[in-house]
Amino acid sequence: MSIQIQRGKAITVDRRTRKTPMGQGLLRGLGVIWKHWSASFQKNDSYKKIQGTFTIEYPEERRQLPEAYRNMPILLYDEQSGHEFCTSCFQCERICPPQVIHMTQAKDPATGKPVPAVESFEIEYDACMSCGLCAEVCPFEAIKMDHTFELSTHDHPSLTVDKTALNRPTTYYAQIAPRMWEEVKENAYKKLAANMKRRSDLIGIAPQMQEQLREQLARAPQAEPAPEAVASASTTADDKAARLAAIRAANAAKRANSENGQAAQGDATQSADDKAARLAAIRAANAAKRAAQQAQASEAPETAPSESASPADDKAARLAAIRAANAAKRAAQQAQASEAPETAASESTSPADEKAARLAAIRAANAAKRAAAAAEKGQEE
Amino acid sequence: MSDDNSELSARQRDEARAALQRDLPFALSPSGSFPSPEGGPDLLATSDIVVEAQQIAAVARYLRASLNYIYLSNITAVDLLAHGCFELVYHFYRLSGGPALTIKTRLPREKPELPSLTPFWPGAAFQEREAYDLFGIVFKGHPDLRRIYMWDEFEGFPMRKDFVRQGDKYLSE
Amino acid sequence: MLSTDELQINIGPQHPSTHGVFRLLTRLEGETIIELTPVFGYLHRNHEQLGEANSYLQNMPFTDRLDYFNSMANNHAYALAVEKLAGIEVPERAEYIRVIMVELTRILNHAGAIGFLFNDMGAWQTQLAFSMREREKILDLFEMVSGARMMCNYFRFGGVVRDLPPEFLPALQDLLEAMPAFIDELERLLSENEILLARTQNIGILPKELAISYSVTGPMLRASGIPYDIRKAEPYSIYDRFDFDIPIGSVGDVYDRFLVRIEEMRQSRRILLQALEQLPDATGSHINPKARQNVRPPVGDAYTRIESPKGELGFYLVSDGSTKPYRYKIRAPSFINLTPLGDLCRGHKIADVVVILGSIDIVLGEVDR
Repeated sequence: MSIQIQRGKAITVDRRTRKTPMGQGLLRGLGVIWKHWSASFQKNDSYKKIQGTFTIEYPEERRQLPEAYRNMPILLYDEQSGHEFCTSCFQCERICPPQVIHMTQAKDPATGKPVPAVESFEIEYDACMSCGLCAEVCPFEAIKMDHTFELSTHDHPSLTVDKTALNRPTTYYAQIAPRMWEEVKENAYKKLAANMKRRSDLIGIAPQMQEQLREQLARAPQAEPAPEAVASASTTADDKAARLAAIRAANAAKRANSENGQAAQGDATQSADDKAARLAAIRAANAAKRAAQQAQASEAPETAPSESASPADDKAARLAAIRAANAAKRAAQQAQASEAPETAASESTSPADEKAARLAAIRAANAAKRAAAAAEKGQEE
Repeated sequence: MSDDNSELSARQRDEARAALQRDLPFALSPSGSFPSPEGGPDLLATSDIVVEAQQIAAVARYLRASLNYIYLSNITAVDLLAHGCFELVYHFYRLSGGPALTIKTRLPREKPELPSLTPFWPGAAFQEREAYDLFGIVFKGHPDLRRIYMWDEFEGFPMRKDFVRQGDKYLSE
Repeated sequence: MLSTDELQINIGPQHPSTHGVFRLLTRLEGETIIELTPVFGYLHRNHEQLGEANSYLQNMPFTDRLDYFNSMANNHAYALAVEKLAGIEVPERAEYIRVIMVELTRILNHAGAIGFLFNDMGAWQTQLAFSMREREKILDLFEMVSGARMMCNYFRFGGVVRDLPPEFLPALQDLLEAMPAFIDELERLLSENEILLARTQNIGILPKELAISYSVTGPMLRASGIPYDIRKAEPYSIYDRFDFDIPIGSVGDVYDRFLVRIEEMRQSRRILLQALEQLPDATGSHINPKARQNVRPPVGDAYTRIESPKGELGFYLVSDGSTKPYRYKIRAPSFINLTPLGDLCRGHKIADVVVILGSIDIVLGEVDR
């Protein structure tokens, strides 16, 4: 049979036709066995070795599971705000091959309209095939694959898990899959912020945190949750508008960076922007300090903003916040106009200053908000 | 790669069609013997060679002897409910390499019978049994035409489009 | 005078050596087989009809469960079929990642097949334990990339799910360093073993012409002396960029199939080394960013086949323009390779039946679908 083969040839295997008297084939094989047995007292700790034991004495020792390992799905919620990421978009239910995900969308009790939150969510763990398609298609990074595999139980109905059992805080997921979470968490929090605006009362709050948040809600009606992405030293709630402005500024800067070319230029304009931003930051920081000093005088628990502030300080704080936002906007616009380096992180001016500017803007906005709240409360009482 | 593959495929197809036209003209099927439905996609439209169902054995023998397509890779049955026919698709290959030669035949759904390739092409044995088991297509001349997946007493042909999906009988009882 | 009777023995579906739920009805004259009929369908899960009820993406995890030893190969064949039908292009880097995964699967499968062949001969898991050790390393690599050891669900239309994690390439390089020692040790342990030679030489001979007319493919065909490998005959993906040889046998018996599998492991290692070398230069991401996973291919049909470790795995898809396939047929290599089993076993002893079945290397998930 003449068959042409490209880039290779047909090699006929060697049938070992020479005779081996006295069982040498067997003995050679036994030699291999002996080598393996004598090497089995050492540990095989590398893929390069083909001898040695690599037994892991489960359950005392456990293997480190890779990040991508998928066993059963879980839902994520942000423990700082208590909000679940899931918006009941039904993408996972639609894609699930064995159709084991069942959910209903939450409705606003006042208007009856659907809100981007999930009311009941069930997964039949016993039929789930761990394919991971639900985690792949989720647009809100709400459903992820867990690593726990020790799920055996005598209680079969308990394998149909509902939202309460499926919920895990984002810190749990960040711990089991740090790299994968890093890639998506900024996006996830952005979407969560947008969704939180449309959820009223306690809709969309994880059942684990409902008790806690109900108390908070009772004490401070204006409490707003904090996203993890913007690291703030204070533990009080941030103002949505300031956060939004900061995010917008960052987006504009990033867009500018990606739109423009790769050359690093425009140092002069950049330093001017930076100066403006730093000035705004300093002003904002001062306002914040003033507000904070006022806050220290009154009772200020971690969660509830209930300080009193004089109207003048209040105004100054608000002004500083507005100035900071404007400066950030101007900086973004000027960065768009000039040519900026490719990535935001490689700007010749220090990114730390930008961060500080944003931080200060937010802190000022905090103070402004707190002041406003206190003022309102004072008016009420 | 796929471009010159499809070009080669088209060339093979034309060459085979010309050879069949010359040597087995009665085997080639005229188009339009089965109606296409009004709404819905026309799954009968194809550029592959369509042969008369009863001549498939002759065509296969011819392809093997004269055109060197000695390797039968796949026999598939497709239930075209909307068109009222079964379609059987055969894929032949040459051992020297190259893309497949696809031969299609159509059978009326009421009486799906055609000659079997198994007597002279034993590789078709299990595939034809599978088509019989799941679609009910009868291959005349097959030495051992019985069900292969379903148990012998099973009634009905599961892969037909009008087979009533019975759901999970065990849970509902 | 003593007269002999024909004995009908059922090597039943529950049997440790039948590679799954597989039944062999044999008629014996003493210990010699007169006739043998395979009966299967015990694992029939109606995968093809499920395929018609699921969308194209939802079918991907089910293809893992066809040939459950080589899930990456099944995924590859299905992804190629849908890409051909829908006209989706695959970036280069994705192609290289795919080839790496499929060749690792081939090494996995052949090591396992040899191990199981020796189990069938009564070697009580010796070779299987060695093969499983290498298999475990490869399964660790699969877990690293796809998240699961066996049911990988790693391929998508237009590429793969995610890119290789940073710890993958060093581990793979270590593994490839150890591979020659492993294969040489395997040969040293086995290939001249007198018991193996006595039990496998000239057993289950499949002559050339019969092999072609039985439509057998894969190592079984090549052991019969026909150098037909789909990676060379009708190259798909980027296999036309690699240099590798095709091992063929001369006699077509069980021993040849065993030797062909060992040599194929060596050739797979060669392909892997070349792929690793060419991988950093590959352009593109791990998936075609424009490819929608909710494919809606145009009306038409496509048959795509790959050289899976067990033979020719083909997917024939008919699309009616919707998101679900109209007809979803799998051409399973183990299913077709079982066709000559009756002929191969005739005249041999019943002890040889299991050895011959082991050399065909079937997996019931594929046979029954």
